[in-house]
Amino acid sequence: MESSHSASVLHPASDSGAALIDQLGTALYVGGAIIFVVVMALAIYGVFAKARAINARGWILGGGLAFPIVTLTVLLMYSLAVGNGLNAIGSSNALQLFLECFGIGDARERTPADGLLRVHVVGKQWWWEVRYEQPGRQEVILANEIRMPTDRAVELVLSTTDVIHSFWAPSLAGKVDMIPGRTTRLRLQTSEEGTFRALCAEYCGGQHALMALYVVTQETTDFDAWLASQARPANEPTDPFLKTGYDAFFRGECHECHTIRGTPAEGTSGPDLTHVGSRKSLAAGTLNNHIGTMAGWIAGAQDVKPGNKMPSSLAYSGVELRALSAWLGSLE
Amino acid sequence: MAGRMFRFIGLLLTSSWLVACIPGRDYEPRIIGGDPDQGREALARYECGVCHVIPGVPDAIGKTGPALDNYSRRSYVAGKFPNEPEVLVRWIADAPAMAPQTAMPAIAMSDKEARDMAAYLYESD
Amino acid sequence: MSSRPPDELPNTLPRPAGEFERLQAVWKRPRGWRVLTQVNNTAIGLWYIGAALLFLVLGGILALIMRTQLVVPGNDLVDYDLYNQLFTMHGSVMMFLFAVPVIEAIGILLLPAMQGARDLPFPRLSAYAFWAYFVGGLVFFTTIFFDLAPDGGWFMYPPLTSYEFSPGLRTDFWLLGIGFIEISAIAGAIEIVVGILRTRPPGMTLDKMPIYLWAMLIVGAMIIFGFPPVILATALLELERAFHWPFFLAEKGGDPLLWQHLFWLFGHPDVYIIFLPAAGLVSMMVATMAQTPLIGYRWIVVAMLATGTISFALWVHHMFATGMPHLSLSFFSAASMAVAIPAGLQVFSWIATLWRGNVQRTTPTYFLLGFFGVFVLGGLTGVMLAVVPYDWQAHDTYFVVAHLHYVLIGGMLFPVFAGIYYWAPLISGRQLSERMGTWACTIMFIGVNLTFFPMHIAGLLGMPRRVWTYADGYGLEIYNLLSTVGAFVFAAGIGIVLLDLLLHFRPAGKVNTNPWRAGSLEWLPQDEYAIRSIPFVTNRDPLWANPSLPEEVDAGQHYLPGTATGVRETIVTSPIDARPQYVLRLPGSSWLPVLAGVGTAVFFLALTVKWMVIAVLGAIVALVSILMWLWQSDPAPSGKLFDIGGGLSLPDYMTGSNSHSWWSMVVLMLVDGSIFACLIFTFFYLWTVTLSGFPPESLELPLIGSSVAAALAWAVSVAAMYVSNRMLPQKRMGAVGLTLTAALAGVWIAFGLSLHALLETNLQPQLHGYASTAYTTVAWQGLHAVLLTLMAGFTLVRLWLGMIDPVRRVVFDNTRIMWYYCAAQGVLALLVMSSPRLAM
Repeated sequence: MESSHSASVLHPASDSGAALIDQLGTALYVGGAIIFVVVMALAIYGVFAKARAINARGWILGGGLAFPIVTLTVLLMYSLAVGNGLNAIGSSNALQLFLECFGIGDARERTPADGLLRVHVVGKQWWWEVRYEQPGRQEVILANEIRMPTDRAVELVLSTTDVIHSFWAPSLAGKVDMIPGRTTRLRLQTSEEGTFRALCAEYCGGQHALMALYVVTQETTDFDAWLASQARPANEPTDPFLKTGYDAFFRGECHECHTIRGTPAEGTSGPDLTHVGSRKSLAAGTLNNHIGTMAGWIAGAQDVKPGNKMPSSLAYSGVELRALSAWLGSLE
Repeated sequence: MAGRMFRFIGLLLTSSWLVACIPGRDYEPRIIGGDPDQGREALARYECGVCHVIPGVPDAIGKTGPALDNYSRRSYVAGKFPNEPEVLVRWIADAPAMAPQTAMPAIAMSDKEARDMAAYLYESD
Repeated sequence: MSSRPPDELPNTLPRPAGEFERLQAVWKRPRGWRVLTQVNNTAIGLWYIGAALLFLVLGGILALIMRTQLVVPGNDLVDYDLYNQLFTMHGSVMMFLFAVPVIEAIGILLLPAMQGARDLPFPRLSAYAFWAYFVGGLVFFTTIFFDLAPDGGWFMYPPLTSYEFSPGLRTDFWLLGIGFIEISAIAGAIEIVVGILRTRPPGMTLDKMPIYLWAMLIVGAMIIFGFPPVILATALLELERAFHWPFFLAEKGGDPLLWQHLFWLFGHPDVYIIFLPAAGLVSMMVATMAQTPLIGYRWIVVAMLATGTISFALWVHHMFATGMPHLSLSFFSAASMAVAIPAGLQVFSWIATLWRGNVQRTTPTYFLLGFFGVFVLGGLTGVMLAVVPYDWQAHDTYFVVAHLHYVLIGGMLFPVFAGIYYWAPLISGRQLSERMGTWACTIMFIGVNLTFFPMHIAGLLGMPRRVWTYADGYGLEIYNLLSTVGAFVFAAGIGIVLLDLLLHFRPAGKVNTNPWRAGSLEWLPQDEYAIRSIPFVTNRDPLWANPSLPEEVDAGQHYLPGTATGVRETIVTSPIDARPQYVLRLPGSSWLPVLAGVGTAVFFLALTVKWMVIAVLGAIVALVSILMWLWQSDPAPSGKLFDIGGGLSLPDYMTGSNSHSWWSMVVLMLVDGSIFACLIFTFFYLWTVTLSGFPPESLELPLIGSSVAAALAWAVSVAAMYVSNRMLPQKRMGAVGLTLTAALAGVWIAFGLSLHALLETNLQPQLHGYASTAYTTVAWQGLHAVLLTLMAGFTLVRLWLGMIDPVRRVVFDNTRIMWYYCAAQGVLALLVMSSPRLAM
C-alpha cells in the first residue's frame, strides 16, 4: 500500500514518547560516532606508525576500564530517567519490580492512572481488533484503526487471541508485545494532529509483513464526535443498488464472521464492519479503502494476503460484487 | 580510431533494427495527453494491482481481473470493446457505464489520471 | 614430578635407529576409502572447517535470495511462504551449522598444535561430532528444496510454533534437526575442555597458556552451561507438538515466555560462544603481527572470564518489549552495558599492542583492521540496544538486523578470515595469495558496510524484521536497494577468499614454516604426528624465548620423541600446573565414529518424518557403534613405566581424577545437571506465573507414599553401589557384580515408584503445565535408568571377562560417579514434584 503517513523513529510526533526517545537516540548517535572515530584512529595509527614505548597500564586502566565504566554509568542513569518518564504507570517499589521480573508477584493487571483513555487492542493473525469500552454506553469495536484525542494520554491495553504480536507505532512510542495469557500496556500521547502508521513488530506467521494499522490523532471535539458516530448502528439501505449489496452480504454468508450492528450480522471471528467505510485501510493497513480495493479484497482476499482467514468470495456476479463493495463503503 | 567509430555506428544500426523488431514497439503512442510515468504512479496509488497483474507496478499481482501486460497488442478492452485509446480511458474511469454486468467498479478519478493509466498500459510490455 | 624445566635437553642425539620410522608408522594416514576413517585432529579439523564454510556459502545464498526479494517494495520474486522459510533457515544455518561448528572446528584443528599435543584426548569423539554434524546438517538444509524447511524464525517462539499454528513437519525439522547439532556441539566441548586441561605440554601452567587456549576453555565451559537450556526447550516444545503436553500454552498452565527465557538463556551466551574464540584468535594474531608480546595478558583473561559470566545474566535484553516492569528491565540493561567493559578492555589491549610493535602490513593485519571497524560499530549499537527506552523503538527492526550482523561478521567472520590467511601456511606450507587476500578484505569491508549500515536507517524509518515485503512511500526504497547491492559485493569478497583457497591451499604432510615469525608452539615443524618431540614450556611465547626450539623439537631432543607404547599417544599433564602424569594411548582410524555419527543424524531426521523403522535402525547403528568404540577405549594397563626422556618415566594408565576419562565424565554430568536444572527452573517458573494454581484444584499431587518409597529405593541403590565399590579393591569380583546388579534393580524400582506416584493420580500430562512438567521430570529419570542400565551392563560384561580389576577400573569408576549423580537427581526430582504440598 502506498502512503506516506508518519512511521519513523526519526520523525516523532510532538510531545510523544517517541520524541523523548528520539532525544536519547541523538545523544547515542553522537556519542557513538565520536567513540568510533577515536578508536578507529587509534587502531589505524597503531598499524601504520613505527613502534614506540607505551604506558601499557595507562591504556588498559584508562581506555579499557575507566572510560567505559564512566561513560556507561552516565548513560545508564540517563536511560533510566527517560524510561521512568515514559513509564509513569505502575509500582515504584524496586524489590517488587525485581521480583516481578522473574514472574514473582502479579505484574499482569495494574490499575491505570486517572484520566487516561483506555483502548483495548487485540492482535490476531493478521489484523487488529480495537475496542473502546464505554461503561453505560454502546461499546465501540473497530479494526485496524485507533483514534485518540490530542489532549489526553491513551493507555492501550494489549492482548492477543492467537500468537505473539507486538504493537509498534514508531512515530508515537516504543513497542510492546501482545502475549497469550497476559495483558500488556502501552501509553500513547501526542499534541500533534495527524495519521500515524503502526505495525506488528513480532514475527507472527505467514503474513506478518501485512499487519499494520493507523493511529489517527484528533482534537477532542472531533474525537468525541467520531466516537459518537462509531457507536451508532448501521441501517438497512433503501437505495436498490446498495440493497443488492446488502442482500449479497448475507447470501455470501459474510455474517458468519463479521458483525454489522443494526443488521442480523453478528459473527465475531472477523473484523466488525459496522463503520468499515470510515476506515483508512483494508486488510490491516494493506490496502487503501475505496470501492475498487474493497471489491478486489472481497473477490481476491487470498491473492492479496494468502493464508489469511478470509476466503476469496468466488460466487458473486459482477453487479453483486460492486453493490456489496458500494454498500460496505457507505457504512461510514 | 576510425575503425572504432565504424564499429560504433554499426552497433547503433543493429540495435535500432533490433528495437524495431521488439513486439509492441512498432505502435505509435496513441494517447494524446497521457503521461505513462504518472500513469504508473496512479495505478500504484489506486492499487489496481489488487485485481490485476500490471508489469512494473509494485504489488500488482491480483488475479481477480485480467492481467494487463502487453496491452497495446490486445484487440479488445474487457473482451468486447475495440482497443481504442478513448475506449480504454472511458473503461478505466467508469467501466459499469459501458458494461453494466462488469465486476470492475467505477473509481472516482480525474480524466487525466485515467488517461495517464491508459498511456502506461500501452507503453509497458 | 617435574614442575621445573630440565637443566639440559631431555633426549640426546643421535636418536636410536627406527624410532622416527615407528612414530611415522603409527600416525600414518589411511589410504583409499579408509581416508574417511581418519580421526586425527589435523584431518577432522580441516574437514570440519570445510563443512562449516560450505554451510556459510549455503546460508549466504539464502541471504542473497532474500536481499533480491527486498530490492524493491512489493516485489514478487519469492512469496511470503518461501521467504519465511528462507529467513528461518538463514538464521538457523548461520548460527547452528556455521558459527558454532566453525569455532569448534578451528579449536580441534589448532589446539593440539598450540599446546604441543599429538592429538586431543578423544579423537574419535571429534570424528563423531563432525560426522553427525556434516551428514545431519546437509540433510537438514535440503528441506528447503522440498518446501519442508522450518518457517517459525530461528528463535521459534511458541505458540506460533506449537501444534495449533504450525501443524506439519516444518517445525519438527528444526526441533529435531537442531538436536543432533546440540549433541555434536556438546561432544566438541567435552573434547576441547578436557583437551585443554589435560593434554598441555609439561610446564605450560595456566598462566602460560596461549590466550586462545583460555578463550576456548571459557567457551567450552559456556557451551556446557549454555546449550542445556536450548536442549531442554527444544525437547519440551517437541513434546508439546507431538503429544500436546502443555508447556508454552497459557490456557493450560504453560507460558509462552518460558520459551523465551530458556531460548535466550542459551541464545545470548551463544553470541559470546561465537565471539570469544574469535577474540582469542585476534589476540594471537595481533601479538604476532606486531612482533611484541600481547599487552595485558592477565587483563584479557579476566575480561574473557567476565564476558563469559556476564553473558549468562543479560538474556532478558531480548525481552525488553514483553511488558516487564521498567525497573526490573534496568537490571538487565545494566548487565548488558557492563558486558561492553571487558570487550572495550580487549580492544584497548590490542590497540596498545599494535602501538608498541612494528606491525607487519599483510593480509591478516588488514582483516584485523576490518574486524576493528566492523566489530566496534556493532558493539556501539549493542550499547544503544541495551538502553531500555531506545530498545523499545529499535527492537525487532532492521536496526537489530544491522547490529547483529555487525557483531557477528565483525566479531567472528573477519577474525576467522584473518585466521584463514594467518594459519593456512601451517597446513599447506605456503601462504595464500597476498594480492587476492588484500582485495578480498577490501571488498568484504565495503560490502559489509554497504549492506548493513543502511539497515540501521531502514529500521529507524519503521521497517520491522522478518517481512517478505514492505510498503513504498516510507523512504525505505533507497536503503533496501543499497543493502541488496552491498550483499552481492560482500558475497564477491567471500568468493575471492574461497577462490584463493581453491587455487593456493593444498594440505602438505610435513610443514616447517613460520612466515609471520610467531612465538607460539603451533609454528614448530608439524607432521601427521604433530611435533616430533614435546618441549617443556617456560614462556608464553616459547619460539621467541628460544629461537633454536624448532630444530631441537624436530630432531627429537625434547620429551617423547617416538612412540613409547607402540601406538598413537600423547602426554597427559595435571590440569593446573601441567606436570606430566601419564602417557595416554590414543585410538586410531576407525569406521565406528563415522557410523555412530551418521546413525545419530539418521535417527533424528527419520524421527522427524516418522519413518520409525529407519529411525530405529539409525539408533541401533549409532548405539552399537558407540558401544563397540567404548569397548576399545579402556586398554589394559601394561604396568610398565615408559621413558619419555630427561629421566622422566610415566605409566600408561591412571584412575580417579588423574584419568582424562574421569574429567570427561564430570563434564558430561555438568551438562546433564544443567539440563536438569533448567527443568527445575521450568517447574518453578510455571508455578510462579500460572494463575490457575500449580497444580490447579482439580488435579492431585503425586502420591506421597510412592514418592517416599522411590527415594528409599534410590538410597538403597546408592548403598549397593557403595558396597560394590568397597568390594572391588578386595578383588571380590562376584560380590562386585552382585551388588552392581542390585544397585541396578534399585534404580528401576525407584523409577517405577516415581512413575507410579503419578499414574495413580488423576494427573495426565496433557491437562496442565504442572502435570506435563511432572511427567517430563519422571521421564528424564527413565532416560537415566536406561543410561545406567547400559553402563551397568557394559561394566558387568567387562567384569565377567576380567577386563575390570582394582587397577583397571576407569569403566567402573565412570559408572559409579554417574550412578551417584543420577540418584541425587532422582531424589531431587521427587522433592521438586511434591514441593507444592509445602505451599498448601
